Amino acid sequence: MHPALVLKRISKRFGGVQALIDVDFTLEQGEVHALLGENGAGKSTLIKILTGVHQKDYGEMLLFNDPVTVTDPVDARFKGIAAIYQELSLVESLNVAQNIFLGHEPVKGFFHRVQKNVLLTKAREYLERFKIPIDPKTPVWDIGLGQKKIIEIMKALSIQAKILLLDEPTTGMSRAEIETLFQIIQDLKKKNVHMIYISHHLEEVFEICDRVTVLRDGKNAGTFPVQGLKMDTLVKSMIGTSLGEELPKKGDASTDSAVVLRMEKFRSQNMQKPVSFQLHRGEILGVTGIIGSGKSELGLALFGADPKIQGKVFVDAREVRFGSPLEAKKMGIGFIPEDRKGQGLFLGLSVDHNITVVALHQLERFGVLSLRKKKRMALSIAQSLKLNPLRIELPVHSLSGGNQQKIVLGKWFYRRPKILILDEPTRGVDVGAKREIYRLIRKWADQGVAVLLLSSEFKEVHEVCDRILVLYRGDLLKEIDPKRTTTEKIMSMALGEHV
Amino acid sequence: MNHSTHKNTKDSHSHRFFKLLRGEFGLFLILVVLLITFSLLSPFFFSSRNLLNITRQISITLIVAIGMTFVILTGEIDLSVGSLAALAGVTTAATLVATQSIFLAILAGLAMGMGVGFINGLLTVYGRVQSFIVTLAMLGVARGMALVWTGGRPISQLSESFSFFGAGYVGPIPASSLIAGIVFCVGLFFLNQTKHGVYIRSIGANREAARLSAIPVKKYRLIAFLVSGLLSGLGGILITSRLLSAQPTAGEGMELNVIAAVILGGASLSGGIGTVFGTLLGAMIIGVIDNGMNLIGVSAFFQQIVKGAIILIAVLIKRNNSQ
Repeated sequence: MHPALVLKRISKRFGGVQALIDVDFTLEQGEVHALLGENGAGKSTLIKILTGVHQKDYGEMLLFNDPVTVTDPVDARFKGIAAIYQELSLVESLNVAQNIFLGHEPVKGFFHRVQKNVLLTKAREYLERFKIPIDPKTPVWDIGLGQKKIIEIMKALSIQAKILLLDEPTTGMSRAEIETLFQIIQDLKKKNVHMIYISHHLEEVFEICDRVTVLRDGKNAGTFPVQGLKMDTLVKSMIGTSLGEELPKKGDASTDSAVVLRMEKFRSQNMQKPVSFQLHRGEILGVTGIIGSGKSELGLALFGADPKIQGKVFVDAREVRFGSPLEAKKMGIGFIPEDRKGQGLFLGLSVDHNITVVALHQLERFGVLSLRKKKRMALSIAQSLKLNPLRIELPVHSLSGGNQQKIVLGKWFYRRPKILILDEPTRGVDVGAKREIYRLIRKWADQGVAVLLLSSEFKEVHEVCDRILVLYRGDLLKEIDPKRTTTEKIMSMALGEHV
Repeated sequence: MNHSTHKNTKDSHSHRFFKLLRGEFGLFLILVVLLITFSLLSPFFFSSRNLLNITRQISITLIVAIGMTFVILTGEIDLSVGSLAALAGVTTAATLVATQSIFLAILAGLAMGMGVGFINGLLTVYGRVQSFIVTLAMLGVARGMALVWTGGRPISQLSESFSFFGAGYVGPIPASSLIAGIVFCVGLFFLNQTKHGVYIRSIGANREAARLSAIPVKKYRLIAFLVSGLLSGLGGILITSRLLSAQPTAGEGMELNVIAAVILGGASLSGGIGTVFGTLLGAMIIGVIDNGMNLIGVSAFFQQIVKGAIILIAVLIKRNNSQ
């Protein structure tokens, strides 16, 4: 029997970032194959190549032993490859049956009139086959997230998908819904649907998958059968070698210096549980956790960007309240959001606009901006960020990811915040840019800024931070001293191994 | 490999050329071409008297378009400007008749403009209804109010001295052109030389990024509608002054001309992109086309087709090179 899918030496480069390097991957028939790796390891790139969103630079792809090229997502569906992404692709205003058969409704006659009865009957068949108790006439906006995911799977099956890619399918699902999903996956295995399962939750991988492939820095770091596999082996292969060059660390004095920020039972609407911790002047405190741990929510709440705050916050030992980013900024807090393009940048606007937008008050006299000063400030920030090319009039979207990230960081440069919150500051940038960003962060800390680094890259947290807190499902676990631990231990804790 | 390198350089050359055309330079070029064409076609066109006349003709469109530039920069739209101009005009005329005070009359007109602009902003920003819908509704409400107030008849017999603003001259220059010039300068200053302008542009470019850059997003979105309302009111006052009569039907279809001027001037309806200077050029191009075609005797029906086509072509060139 041929494997369902074979990838040979797949490589892909985005600008300066080599996302995939000579990746080999085999999906046997009837297996559920887990794809693991840290953020930026290349999982999503690989998936996007399979579904035709990106084109591979070179390498070979065999589908049931036939060499194929997937030109675009429509072509992928035509070849029987379907992906269920974290973001759903359902049309909320249509009902369940209409969504399942969207784009290939049963039609009749010259005007391609939709046969509503056939549509409903067929949809009911699908739902019954998987024992889903939903009326196919229910509009999708009326059903829960877990059921939506399942409807999405039905949709893929309705086009006779042979290969199903599930990207973090359990995100936001309740335990009962996860059970149902796993039931369906077991069922599909018997019906000869071959699946690739992407997840950060290792316990799910052990529960439902047959084999595991780990990606690390764009390479295949090993494929293992799940049976008899040790958690240690898995964690070790996910974490690569050290960042190489020793990064400048601060002395032991960090905890002696003044407490800048203290939180007591702090919680916002979107956080799962209240948290308490302190942040000192001049230190880099790492808060790490996997997707769904609530680390981004914590950052947004601390910057006043999330409503309904409970608990107490003290800045310089004085209790404060802030309900907006503007108030947080006035209190000396700076924030660098996780999603560079969606939350961090004005992509269509120039570099100097982006870089000076939070410091404009330093450039005005009697309410009038000095454009000359603005240019000078932008240029000096750009120089210290080693922006390449050093042209501040360019629109930001024309720069590489690494340079874009530097701009997001750099805009707080002149503001000199007391507290700087960084959410995934090195996501999607190459190793060189990463190192420069780490140096920048350390420089700020040495100047007395209290840095809160939120990151799901365990290696980064381990090597850059002075203290580490692990978040697991909204719970802040005990503090870790990076000098007395290994990256593996941090990762195991974040994955829920502490329990 | 060689082939593709060659293609890239060629692309970047043509890209640079189009980039130049796409910016304000391109608009300026269009304006010059139009000026030359009409000068050749009509002996009356290129005279100082006619050119000053054009500035007077575009002054009201320009004033309202500058307000619209603010709104479009934040990524919203204001369809109520024409109706609002009529309502503000009626307010001014009624106040003038009642109090005989030009000062109070103008104040009342501007206050009406700002008030309705404020309501537009409130409903859009805090009521979270799309501005297209809010201002479309307001287009009806404001017009209706003007009609109900006047019983559908114009308010005339205003004091002669009131006509100065819309029909008077300061030396050789029409007073309304002068007022438009002042509004232009203030708008230019506000958007380019103050943080407020930078914030308004940022909000249109990426609202979430603006919020996380500690910009008071709601406040500035509201301000944009206020400015648009205020300037629509000013436009309405000038129309009333010029005719020395407030017509409840004044400014019908004005929103189309105004939006066309802003879009022609390089603004993007999705926000963030656009300049007051571009809006000036857009308004001038439309004004020159109107005036020139009148002078060479193109039928009014045909004029509409030409104007529509020129706007479409200009925007088409811009869009296809902005990717």
